[in-house]
Amino acid sequence: MNSHAMHSLPIQQVATHFAELKSFLFEQTFEAEPGQFVMLWIPGLDEKPFSVSDVRDGMIEITAKAVGPFSRALMECRPGERLGVRGPFGRGFRPRGRGLVVGGGMGIAPLRYLVHRLERDRASFRVALGARTAAEMMFLGDFSRVGAEFATDDGTLGRQSLVTGLAARLCADEAFDVIYGCGPEPMLVALKKLADERGLDCQLSLERHMKCGIGVCGSCCVDGSGICICREGPVLDKAELDRVADFGWPHRDATGARKQPTAI
Amino acid sequence: MNPLAVQFAGLALESPLVLASGVLGTTVASLRRVAQAGAGAVTTKSCSLAARPGHPAPCVLPWPGGLINAVGLSNPGVEAELEELAEYRRTCATPLFVSIFAGSADEFGRLARCVAAAQPDLIEVNVSCPNVESEFGAPFAADPEACGRVTHAVKENAGAVPVSIKLSAQCASLARMAVVCRQNGADALTAINTVGPGMWIDVGMGRPALSNRVGGVSGPAILPIAVRAVYEIRKAVDLPIIGTGGVSCAEDALQLIMAGADAVGVGSGVYAGGVELFGEINRGLAAFLKERGFESLAQAKGLAHREGGPDSPLAQGQGGLKPKREAP
Repeated sequence: MNSHAMHSLPIQQVATHFAELKSFLFEQTFEAEPGQFVMLWIPGLDEKPFSVSDVRDGMIEITAKAVGPFSRALMECRPGERLGVRGPFGRGFRPRGRGLVVGGGMGIAPLRYLVHRLERDRASFRVALGARTAAEMMFLGDFSRVGAEFATDDGTLGRQSLVTGLAARLCADEAFDVIYGCGPEPMLVALKKLADERGLDCQLSLERHMKCGIGVCGSCCVDGSGICICREGPVLDKAELDRVADFGWPHRDATGARKQPTAI
Repeated sequence: MNPLAVQFAGLALESPLVLASGVLGTTVASLRRVAQAGAGAVTTKSCSLAARPGHPAPCVLPWPGGLINAVGLSNPGVEAELEELAEYRRTCATPLFVSIFAGSADEFGRLARCVAAAQPDLIEVNVSCPNVESEFGAPFAADPEACGRVTHAVKENAGAVPVSIKLSAQCASLARMAVVCRQNGADALTAINTVGPGMWIDVGMGRPALSNRVGGVSGPAILPIAVRAVYEIRKAVDLPIIGTGGVSCAEDALQLIMAGADAVGVGSGVYAGGVELFGEINRGLAAFLKERGFESLAQAKGLAHREGGPDSPLAQGQGGLKPKREAP
């Protein structure tokens, strides 16, 4: 049956990175590319999209941080408990040429899978990651191993700067073909500007209020072109980003009205 | 001349295909995109007087026969909706149908008045949503008297804007329902809404998978129900009909047209086919007309109602099947 149909799986393993940041591993029942996402369902509560943070040894990994009622409930889930797991949804990264991988905050999760893929494909790449503080930098071991550079708001890890400053410096020093980015939208806007200035391609992962995940309900369509983030995104290329009229602007809420983004 | 052009309730549509309400109809950007993809008209997601967040997820699920949904009529409320509509008007010439939803005939009337002021090309009255029963009770479309009252209230307030009542396949008599709508002034009918409600249980979890537990069933599974509904309505009244339900290819659209539809709604089909589906169906319809030597879709409309065999006089001439053209 179509892997977008509801399907529940027991959690195989829970990895605690920090108190409020955990990975959940499920048996891999469908293929997923870096940048694609899955829907996790907790019955009686809600269903939310989560990017895939790794696929390895027949397991698919989702990494979540406690930010809202859903993710807080998810933190309480133990191995053996069942969750609805549907996917893969959307279109992920399409690796090409020499890449600069840039992530901020929770946007780092899907980039870990991307980096593993780039390594597997023996692609040439650099990584720049930003977080508020050292204690929030996830997958530090994975990323240190590939020579990632770090930026934190408080200077507890790497440089005390925004990750976009780090990215700009790397672009000035080295040649890249493409910037891969995932993180807060202001960071993505800065990366798009950097790519435009440097004449680089870019592939950036956007977030909008999603409901159906399959390109039907229209909740996540961007202004301007109407590109459907759940189906044609979440990773958009440069030409597509130029057709996102609300790029960097307030998002729409569950009713469809234009509102400030809200935490899940 | 465009062979797919149809006249619908006084409107000239470039294609019989209409984006069905509830699909890609929340924002002006997605409506415009569907129009550019080949729809002859687009219908907004149903709007109500006040904003509604809808039901929590999961609210739309694919299953092997199509989709099951309980989005729960999420919309930003009529005021915000009118801003979107104004922007659509400024940027897109394709006819715009506005779907409205309310809990009483009186509210429907007030809503119709607000919406009519924005001069849409048609107001579609959603009296048949099957996934908000816990909040609003049985849909008006199950009861001819209630449906008549809503139709009357909307017509009283819609001014010159044509009104289509969106019916459910699930009522004692669609023929009676259609007659009541016409008697109360309906300019057109849309048939059908999603069917049900239905339920999908995730066996692993042992629970209904939709947060609302039940939801409207759509997609290929309901096409035969929609075809039958349009056929029954066409027998009963001569109002223009938007035949909607499970259309995913040109042949599906032709079934509805041959059953008597003037225009064809496309909704859940975009899950499998994307917005490109509109262009694909248009091309398929044009190919069919060419192959059969028809000059327009009007010649295919209602074909399935003729009596007798292929050589019957009804198979010729107006509304009939022309002999297939021979290659020279």
